[in-house]
Amino acid sequence: MFALRRWWDRYAARAGVAALVISLAWAMRQTQGAAIYEMYQVLTAPLQPGLTQAERLENAYVLELQQRVIELENQNQSLRTNIDYADDQGKVTIAAVIGRSADSWWQQITVNKGSTDGVTEGDITTGPGGLVGRVVSVSPNTSQILLITDPTSQMGVKVSRSRALGVVRGNVDGRVIMQFFETTPDVKPGDVIVTSSYSRLFPQGVPVGRIESMDLKKSPAPEAVIQLSSPISVLEWITIHPFEAKIDVNAPPAEIADDDPATP
Amino acid sequence: MTTSKGKSTLSDLQKTCLNILIVVGSGLICLLLSPMRFPGIELLDVTPNWVLIWVVIWSIHHPIVDGAIAGIVLGLMHDSLTGAFPTHALGLMVVGMLSARLQRQRLIRENVVLVAFIVFGMAVVAATLIALQMSFHYLLWPNSPYLSLWQIWRTHQRVALSSAILSSLWTPALYYPLHFWWKR
Repeated sequence: MFALRRWWDRYAARAGVAALVISLAWAMRQTQGAAIYEMYQVLTAPLQPGLTQAERLENAYVLELQQRVIELENQNQSLRTNIDYADDQGKVTIAAVIGRSADSWWQQITVNKGSTDGVTEGDITTGPGGLVGRVVSVSPNTSQILLITDPTSQMGVKVSRSRALGVVRGNVDGRVIMQFFETTPDVKPGDVIVTSSYSRLFPQGVPVGRIESMDLKKSPAPEAVIQLSSPISVLEWITIHPFEAKIDVNAPPAEIADDDPATP
Repeated sequence: MTTSKGKSTLSDLQKTCLNILIVVGSGLICLLLSPMRFPGIELLDVTPNWVLIWVVIWSIHHPIVDGAIAGIVLGLMHDSLTGAFPTHALGLMVVGMLSARLQRQRLIRENVVLVAFIVFGMAVVAATLIALQMSFHYLLWPNSPYLSLWQIWRTHQRVALSSAILSSLWTPALYYPLHFWWKR
């Protein structure tokens, strides 16, 4: 008892500080590092590209409009709606990539738009070419995007030509693998892969990539290596689309189409 | 955890405050460097493990328990930037304890080349502990997202080696300022 008391007298302050620091770190982990990412966003602000491409185009366009004669105004306005892609699409947010994964075992990117710009968890992101990933955490001015190349990222997909269904999974080495549900899928290299309606976290019909090579003898399911259509390693801008994940995929559909009259 | 030694113009309280500031500030810088990619920092898509470098330098100047605590704290913070599983806290705790154990030999502290070597070894240890967690997850979990052990360990080779090389090359950048401060 005395020894314990003595230990406490000597180390109480140290133990207190250690407990405090560990609980702070734990709190930070539970909040997904929001504080750190907010700070990162502020510190890297001078390095970030200023206006988005869409905004730059718009500025140039407004200048052009001012120089034109008034008769062309109607025509100009219709062209402007074509150019201003972000406004045209309604809720789409265009964001700049400001950081990559903090460790090589993860495949994530950080972008400079967050909850103040209306980004919410579960939104999907696309880049030039196709699907990029999904928003997994949001802080006021940044969001974390889990890329489809991450091993924990999975989605239902189909081959656009033959409708063969499968699952696309990321891999620890950054490649993307598609596993087919059928044992003999109708598929050949070059086939386009899009997300299927079975995908819970992604809307259907978004282009993902092309089949690069296949191993149809693989057990338990045939596999194919996918070449992503979006150049994920050189991405600078991405588009965030609002999307609500389907919570319960196992729930029966509301209406079952049935030719026979229902028996009471 | 923060003790002030020696005599100088600064009072003990000022020194303690400055020490806390330097410790927190340098740790924060390491965390902020992690998602950054500037030229000359990437090798095979792998970047230096800044947090690990910091933990090693801290540990060779502090006792084993402090090394372990620093490892856990920085590991949890690193987790907050990536994802909860596999955790960095385990690997960095082991790294902190091992480096603090090596500190018994005094000459290590003064020699930046030896510190770089320790960082090299510890980067391999940290990557191995992450790969081990993934492997256990793969073996014990029926719905594990990881596809095969072979892939985990092949990636481990690439990540461990590249991050070890890069981290040890970048060690002096953190070592000199921190060592200069803690030596006083």
